[in-house]
Amino acid sequence: MKWATRPGVHVDRAACAWLIRRFVDPAAEFVFPADPAAVPAGATPFDMRGAALGHHQGRCSFETALETFGLTTDPALEEIGHIVHEADLADERYDAPAAAGLDVLIRGLTLTSGSDHDTLTLTDRLFDGLYEQTRRQLITGRPPA
Amino acid sequence: MSRDEDWVLLAYRLPRVPSTPRSAVWRKLKRLGVAWLSDGLVALPADARTREQLEWVAEEVTEHGGEATVWLGRPLDARAVSAVAGRMTAAVAAEYGALAAEAATLRGADAVTVRRAVTRLRRELHRIQGRDFFGCPQREAARHAVDQLAAADTAGTPA
Repeated sequence: MKWATRPGVHVDRAACAWLIRRFVDPAAEFVFPADPAAVPAGATPFDMRGAALGHHQGRCSFETALETFGLTTDPALEEIGHIVHEADLADERYDAPAAAGLDVLIRGLTLTSGSDHDTLTLTDRLFDGLYEQTRRQLITGRPPA
Repeated sequence: MSRDEDWVLLAYRLPRVPSTPRSAVWRKLKRLGVAWLSDGLVALPADARTREQLEWVAEEVTEHGGEATVWLGRPLDARAVSAVAGRMTAAVAAEYGALAAEAATLRGADAVTVRRAVTRLRRELHRIQGRDFFGCPQREAARHAVDQLAAADTAGTPA
């Protein structure tokens, strides 16, 4: 399937792309039209104004995506949702100290990446690691050594 | 002005009733540190982040039955825009000033109070920095005041 989001991906779009590829559509193909009107026919837009997979009721797009794809029962994903929310919106709804670090790391990656595809290749690895770390922490009740 | 000249503007209109979404939007804009140009028109120096921030506020306004458009604009009057930037900087300067003053009054308090205050003040400093678009000169003084408070605490703590 084709998925579309704005170019210059940052934390919320990177997290959504990872979620889509990892839990929804392993063969996902991403395109980055600058204009919402230029989303190709048949592509599902996310983290764009007017998209169902966007910011709604104070939630970031990643949190909306968890709801939409029925993934809210995974506590590690829910926790990552809080981190992405704070990295993206910083409205202090959640206590997520990892958010500040994730925000600067992805901003830095965006600055040095050759393309949005390149950024997503790197952020996919980052979120794989964050997911595993969060999952283990939830099992043992403390950060993995 | 120290940043490039484009500004991102949000023109919005929300029904007066219910008042909850109105005040939620107002609080959000306040936290972003926007310049209030007139009723229902706010601006921020444009970059990828501020554009996105105002786009999502626009989305929220629309969700609550209002109207919102986001614009990219360049002021034609340099003096007028430096007055706007000056007002924004004065607002964050006052916040930095209050924070530095609070840090100063806390010196000499007991270790637990100081430690809690340092955490809280650093978080507040971070918040203010988020809306400090023009490198407000009071930033360093505020940061220094909090660092000194933290150092005083560490110095008094037995190893």
